[in-house]
Amino acid sequence: MTGGVEQRAVVDLSVDLGRGLELRNPLLVASGTFGYGVEYGEVVDVDRLGAVCSKGTTLKARIGNAPPRVTETPAGMLNSIGLQNPGVEAVLERYAGRWAGWEVPVIVNVAGESVEDYVAVTRRLDGHPGVAGIELNISCPNVGRDGLQFALDAGSAAQVTAAVRAATDLPLMVKLSPAAPDVRAIAKAIEAAGADSISAVNTLSGMALDRVRRRPLLGNTYGGLSGPALKPVALRVVYEVAQAVRIPIVAIGGIGALDDVLDFLLAGAVAVQVGTAVFADPLLPVRLAEQLEEWCRREGVTSHRDIVGGALPARRDRPSIKGVEYRP
Amino acid sequence: MKLLRTELLEAAEFLPGQWLHSYDAAALAAGAHAGQFVHVRTPDYSGLVLRRPFSINTYDRLEGRITLHFRITGKGTEWLARMRAGERLEMLGPLGRGFEVASRSRHLLLVAGGLGMAGVRSLADEAIAAGRQVVVLFGAASASEVYPSSMLPDEVEYVVATDDGSFGHHGRVTDLVPRFEAWADQCFACGPTAMLAAMAELARGRDGRLGVARLGRRGGPRQAPLSSAQARRRSWLQVSMEQNMGCAVGACLGCVVMGVNGPQRVCREGPVFAADEIRWAGWP
Repeated sequence: MTGGVEQRAVVDLSVDLGRGLELRNPLLVASGTFGYGVEYGEVVDVDRLGAVCSKGTTLKARIGNAPPRVTETPAGMLNSIGLQNPGVEAVLERYAGRWAGWEVPVIVNVAGESVEDYVAVTRRLDGHPGVAGIELNISCPNVGRDGLQFALDAGSAAQVTAAVRAATDLPLMVKLSPAAPDVRAIAKAIEAAGADSISAVNTLSGMALDRVRRRPLLGNTYGGLSGPALKPVALRVVYEVAQAVRIPIVAIGGIGALDDVLDFLLAGAVAVQVGTAVFADPLLPVRLAEQLEEWCRREGVTSHRDIVGGALPARRDRPSIKGVEYRP
Repeated sequence: MKLLRTELLEAAEFLPGQWLHSYDAAALAAGAHAGQFVHVRTPDYSGLVLRRPFSINTYDRLEGRITLHFRITGKGTEWLARMRAGERLEMLGPLGRGFEVASRSRHLLLVAGGLGMAGVRSLADEAIAAGRQVVVLFGAASASEVYPSSMLPDEVEYVVATDDGSFGHHGRVTDLVPRFEAWADQCFACGPTAMLAAMAELARGRDGRLGVARLGRRGGPRQAPLSSAQARRRSWLQVSMEQNMGCAVGACLGCVVMGVNGPQRVCREGPVFAADEIRWAGWP
C-alpha cells in the first residue's frame, strides 16, 4: 500500500461460452422468468446482467395451458405456462430491435415439438441482429411428452442438437432436464453433436392439489418445480455433467443467494441463471454479480473461474471455463 | 412502476381475520389509480418464494400513503398480519390497468363480494372527489364479515346483502343489482369469480331489459379495439379479476385468465377488464 490508497484488486468476472458469446459476468436471467427482457422496464438495468435468456420461442404462436398456471409450493413453485408465445416472427418483430441496442447479449430460448420445428426457428434467428445465441429448450415438462422426449434420450438429444448445429453458426446452449435417468450420457451426446455449452437444469415435473375442490390445482394438472426446492437436484446434475463434458456449463436451479452461486461454481458451472428468485427480487442477479466480485476480491482470487469445479473429484483435466474457439 | 421499501404506519384488525394496513409510500401513491395493485415481497425467500399481490385499497397523494386490506388466508397473509408499525415492506407498483370511467358517467355502481371491497374501494374515493354519485353493493357470508360503513366516504350509498340474512338483504349481492342498473351509468365489480360471472350475465341482458336503444351513426357506432381504454370506458360493466401470480410485470405469463381473444395477463392487461373481454363459459 502506498500513499494510504488501497489498491483494489481487479476481478475478472467475464465468461466465454464459445463461438464468441462472451458475457461480462456469470449472472444470467433464466428463460421464462424475465420475458423478453423489457417487462421490468426501468426497475432492472439489463446491461448489468451477464445475459438474458428469452421466454421459450416456437415457430408458430402458442396459446399455452389453461389457468391457473402457477402456485407456490414448499420452498418453491410450480408453473405450467405451456410455452405461450407469439411465435418467432412476432418475437423478432417486437423485441429484436431493442435487443440489438443493448450491450447485454440476448440468448433466445427455442422450443419445438419436432426436429424440423427447432431447425425452422433456428434458421429464422440465424444472423438476425439482436440475437446473440440460442438456448435449445429440449426439456420443457409442460407440453406433454413431446416437449421432453429430446432431453430424456441421448440419441434424440444428439439428433436435434446436430440438426440445429447444422442450421446456424450462432452460439448454441442446450438445456438439460433433471428427469433424465443418466444426465451424463445426454450431456456427452449433446457435446458430441456440436453444442457450445450446456445449461442445467430445467424444471422437474410435479403437481399440487386444490383440497377444497378435490382436484389438481393447476389447469394443466402438472407443472414444473423450480426454486430452492430444486437446488440439490440441480447441483447433483451439474456435478455429474461437469465430470462428463468439456464444454462450459451454465447452472440453473434455486439460486437465491451468493452461497448458491458459489456452490454451482464449485460443482463445475462457469455461470448461473437466476430464475424463480427474480420474481421475489428483480434486482437479485445484478446484486449477486456485485457480491461475487466482492467475494473474489476478499478471497484474493482474480476471477470466479478460478474456483470452477473446485469441489469435483480430482482428475487430470479441469472442467471448461472457456468455450471452444470458433473457426469458420 | 417503482420498487421501493415502505414503512408500516398503522395496522388494525377491523373485522375478525381482516386487516387494514397503512403504509408510508409516497412514490406509489403518486402514480396510483383505482383498480391497480402492488406486489409485496415476503420476508424469507427460501420459505415463501413468491411475492403477494394486493389491491391498492386506498391511496392518499397528499399524505403519501396507501392502504392494503387483506384477510388471513395462508402463510403469506399470516406473516403480513404479524407485522408491526415501524417495520418495512418492499413493494413493486403501482401495477396493472385500473378502472376506466367515462367522463360523462355521473352514477357509478360498485359491486363487491367479500375481500373484493379492496378492489373497488379506491374507486369510491376517486368518484366522490370527481363529484360523481356512488352506490356500493356489498355481499358477505354473514353480519360478522360486513365491511363497516364508517370506512366508506359519507357520500356513498351503501347496501348490504348476506348469504344467511343476518344483515341486510338475505341473499346474493347480485340480487341487488337490477334495482340500480337503470340508474347506473357504469358498473364496477370485484369479488369471487362466480359473482363476477353472474354480473357479466346480468350485464349481457341489461340492454334488453331496460329497452336501451342502440343509437349511433349509420352503420353502427365506431368500434374501439377490444381491451383498449376507449372500449373499456364504453363498457357498462368492468370487473377486477384475480389469479395466482408470478412476476406481476407481464414476463412470466403465469397469471392469465381466458379472454375471448386468448389468454389475458391479470397483471398487465388487467386486473380490470371489460366484462365482454372475458370468456365466462365454464365458470360456475
